[in-house]
Amino acid sequence: MVNFIQAVRDHWVHILVPLGFVIGCYLDRMNDEKLSAFRNKSLLYRRELKPGEETTWK
Amino acid sequence: MLKIIIPTIMLLPTALLSPKNLIWTNTTTHSLLIAAISLQWLHPTYFPHKNLSQWAGVDQISAPLLVLSCWLLPLMLMASQNHLQQEPMVRKRIFITTLITIQPFIILAFSATEVILFYISFEATLIPTLILITRWGNQPERLSAGIYLLFYTLISSLPLLVTLLHLHTQTGTLHLPTLELMHPSLTLSWTGTLSGLALLMTFMVKAPLYGLHLWLPKAHVEAPIAGSMLLAALLLKLGGYGIMRVTMLMGPLTSYLCFPFMTLALWGALMTSSICLRQTDLKSLIAYSSVSHMGLVIAASMIQTDWSFSGAMILMISHGLTSSMLFCLANTNYERTHSRILLLTRGLQPLLPLMSTWWLLANLTNMALPPTTNLMAELTIMTALFNWSMPTIILTGLATLLTASYTLFMLLMTQRGTSPSYITSIPNSNTREHLLMTLHILPMLLLMLKPELISGTI
Repeated sequence: MVNFIQAVRDHWVHILVPLGFVIGCYLDRMNDEKLSAFRNKSLLYRRELKPGEETTWK
Repeated sequence: MLKIIIPTIMLLPTALLSPKNLIWTNTTTHSLLIAAISLQWLHPTYFPHKNLSQWAGVDQISAPLLVLSCWLLPLMLMASQNHLQQEPMVRKRIFITTLITIQPFIILAFSATEVILFYISFEATLIPTLILITRWGNQPERLSAGIYLLFYTLISSLPLLVTLLHLHTQTGTLHLPTLELMHPSLTLSWTGTLSGLALLMTFMVKAPLYGLHLWLPKAHVEAPIAGSMLLAALLLKLGGYGIMRVTMLMGPLTSYLCFPFMTLALWGALMTSSICLRQTDLKSLIAYSSVSHMGLVIAASMIQTDWSFSGAMILMISHGLTSSMLFCLANTNYERTHSRILLLTRGLQPLLPLMSTWWLLANLTNMALPPTTNLMAELTIMTALFNWSMPTIILTGLATLLTASYTLFMLLMTQRGTSPSYITSIPNSNTREHLLMTLHILPMLLLMLKPELISGTI
């Protein structure tokens, strides 16, 4: 148990960069969602979704 | 974009909080991991931009440079280990933090689609570089080198800021993809010409153009190894990249404005190669060879054809890796003999036989031997220039000849001959150094097999 705690104390910094990657991926995805905010909202080009279709484009 | 930038920023707490004995291992491993993730940017696509957000995007021109800048960070960390060995722990942490701070700024500069964001991050890279040179250099002359670096860049980039603000009031946007779709806003008036000059001048100083290059050999000679690698491999490329970006905005002006720059760039390639032939200082020789190679890049990006852009891109990447490797090799010699003077460090081949293999490989790529990407780049640029104007073949041909001569001169001076009598015992080359050289040469060898990854537009 003590060994485990010692290992965690020594090596917890390894979590930082992967954590940054996960946060970065999440923020990137949020941003992509934001860019598709007006997807299929145009009055001129709006169309009904076909059955089984989720969005008009990805 | 953020999935690379945020981990890079998280490297800072990693460097500050790592246990004493693991600090180098941790930072190097994690930065290598980030470099591995950044390889996804090289994945080809039919869209003009990958990973496009409102403020950043990766296109064919920026992708190779972005990957190069991610790749260089672990190499810089690896190269600096030896000369920091005697320093206390706090200073090591500060040094590593300074190195890591530059990375997000360079990534931002290469990926920004908004010109003002590009400008800000371009200027921001200056501060950590200045700290690296003026704090961590070896000689008192580093202060004057720092002043040269700072003021050359600042004086040339203030007109750029004014021009960018002027352009913004004229067109209402500085978003690059939008600007490319608009009518050229710079006309042939005096205002247009001066704005064009101001747009180009910053990057000409950074690249550097012959005549505006005096800060570079000083900075290279005085900088610690990581600073030299950073300058040669990344900061000069910011100049080349900037030229490519702004010439696209200048429209009809470039065809008039290009003449003085082309003349200086090609003549400068000849002159700096000749300067290399009579250099006594190894680092200064490599610095002047960078000026000569970047002269070709400037000339190619001024004539704005597909071929020339593609040649300039390939040359920037291959020169980035080659010159960085040469600086590392020069540093391994410097750490052993404590001298950069070529005459005092001769005949190292019998003493460090394996290292001389790396010297040979690095020099062969620097002189553009057939299968290397350097040769592809030089040939593409020479062809594009020849197509633009025939007499340029005399200048580019002579420059190639001189490049081969001074590279051979460098190889022979460092490796052959009798070793000076004062070198009685020198430490062996170690695994860290060999790994460093391998990580430089490996991407070059792999890129020979698939040069279209770095060839930009084509």
